[in-house]
Amino acid sequence: MGMSKKVLVVDDETHILQVVSLKLRNAGFEVVTATDGEEALDVMATDRPDLLITDLQMPVMNGVELCCRMRDNPALRDVPAMMLTARGYSLEPEDMSRTGLRAVLSKPFSPRELLATVQEILGPATDAVSADAEVL
Amino acid sequence: MGTARRLILILIVLIALASSTAYYATQMSLRDGSIRERVMGWLAVGLTSSVCALVLVVIWRSLGKTVQIVRQQLTSLEGSGEVGLIMVESHDELGQMVQDFNRYLTRIKSRVDQLKLQKRELDIQIRVADAEKRHTEAIIFSISDAVLVTDSFDELILANESAERTFDFAMTGMYRQPIAKAIGDPEFVKLIADTRSQNTDRRRRVVEYVRVVDTERRTFNVTLSGVMDARGDCNGVVAVLHDITREKEVAAMKTDFVSNVSHELRTPLSSIKAYVEMLVDGEAEDENTRREFYNIIQNETDRLGRLIDNILNISRIESGVVKIHKEPLALTSVIKETLEVVRPQAVAKDIRLVDDVTTVFYQVLADHDMLYQAMLNLLSNAIKYTPNGGAVTVRTIVDEGRKTARVEIKDTGVGITPEDLPRVFEKFFRVESSKRMAKGTGLGLSLVKHIIETVHGGEVGVFSKFGQGSTFYFQMKLAD
Repeated sequence: MGMSKKVLVVDDETHILQVVSLKLRNAGFEVVTATDGEEALDVMATDRPDLLITDLQMPVMNGVELCCRMRDNPALRDVPAMMLTARGYSLEPEDMSRTGLRAVLSKPFSPRELLATVQEILGPATDAVSADAEVL
Repeated sequence: MGTARRLILILIVLIALASSTAYYATQMSLRDGSIRERVMGWLAVGLTSSVCALVLVVIWRSLGKTVQIVRQQLTSLEGSGEVGLIMVESHDELGQMVQDFNRYLTRIKSRVDQLKLQKRELDIQIRVADAEKRHTEAIIFSISDAVLVTDSFDELILANESAERTFDFAMTGMYRQPIAKAIGDPEFVKLIADTRSQNTDRRRRVVEYVRVVDTERRTFNVTLSGVMDARGDCNGVVAVLHDITREKEVAAMKTDFVSNVSHELRTPLSSIKAYVEMLVDGEAEDENTRREFYNIIQNETDRLGRLIDNILNISRIESGVVKIHKEPLALTSVIKETLEVVRPQAVAKDIRLVDDVTTVFYQVLADHDMLYQAMLNLLSNAIKYTPNGGAVTVRTIVDEGRKTARVEIKDTGVGITPEDLPRVFEKFFRVESSKRMAKGTGLGLSLVKHIIETVHGGEVGVFSKFGQGSTFYFQMKLAD
């Protein structure tokens, strides 16, 4: 087995953090959490994730700003991001392009769907090195 | 007898006299006769000449007198400005001429009188028209919408007070001046010109127009219509500007409210949905985790219920269907109750809760649940918008003379700008900077105002210094 892929989950609602974390951990991902955009940037500065899942509306720094700040950092530019939003509408097209989001899920969301989207973006939870070797 | 005929007669007499005198003088020989004869002759000549001169003077004077009378009367008539008749006693030709002249004057006088009558009628018509014009203008002036009227040369004919204010000019001296002179905005001038030149279908045009009035950005609905004459040509343009700034704000606030409420409702609903699905999928492995999930689901369901109650409460109080139980309540105990409820929030943010509430037993006639709700909203707002380490002070001021109690909630929070201050009690309104600081529906303060003012006949208010803190207060009558 290779290293687990790391997902950073950002939301100001601890219940949501908890349930997303559990779902992803159960599927074999490694999960780190933050409760607002600034904290998330701090975490990413030392611990580069393979995927960012962020809420849109948060105090201090919202999800769109977080994604933009992440794009500005060359070390984090390639990290794919997806967003959870409790807004009744999806994001504006210009926000979609400037944040480079891969997926937007609307709240209330299904953890099952969330996991499926994460797997679509990242593939299997663990690095496929050993798996490929087995096939070969 | 005619003057001329009289003059001829006199002349004949005079000639006769002169010839007889001449004859006598020749006969008597003035040169050759005796002294007596010569004296007599010269006397006769002198006498004749004198009589002639006298007669001439008398005739001349009698003629001059009539002329003078006529001239005097003419002068006085000229002075009076009236058309009158000239009165002379003489029946000679001059008298007849005056009579003829008088007949002519009588005709002129009746014509003048007729014209005078017509003039008076016209004067009245003008006054009526003038009054009607002023009345119409008064109506146009009393309209709160700005009204501008231009002619076929795009010159200003009329602008009401609201138009003067909107475009910041004075109508004095602007009548029939090019509209561009009064209105500095080329965009609006073009609207007027386009309406005049293109208005062939008699239809009204409504366009949205934005203008800064007194440093405030205002949005107007401009209704432009052409003024058509009988031939269907456009003789000018009427522009009516209706200010829709407030309507737009309300619409924006409602949209904001709906999106806020939906966000607030979706948050607990998300938790409920996610945890239920986790349980269904068997993701919670042990009994403890499952119990934790059940608890979260229960709490979030309660939160959802409270949220819906809050939203409904405000609309119920507004529509007056909510049941109110007023009873004498100890003011201090209601305040203490709420202080205990918010204490954990204050502790979590390291905010000092200062209790400066009277210990004297004062009663107010109030609905317990509502007063409690109002107090709770004010306190939790104060804590929400005060940064960590600040202080929230609750103070009561009782005026026994006026039988009023005033409760003040003072914070050391972010404060409110003077522009936002008058609007904080409006439903759905949220201070822009506070949106980032804490969640809310924009209903809390609106509910407080309803509870204190609509339900209890009291008064709420706020004073604030931006960046230093706010003091919200409410005042109620003490119970008898």
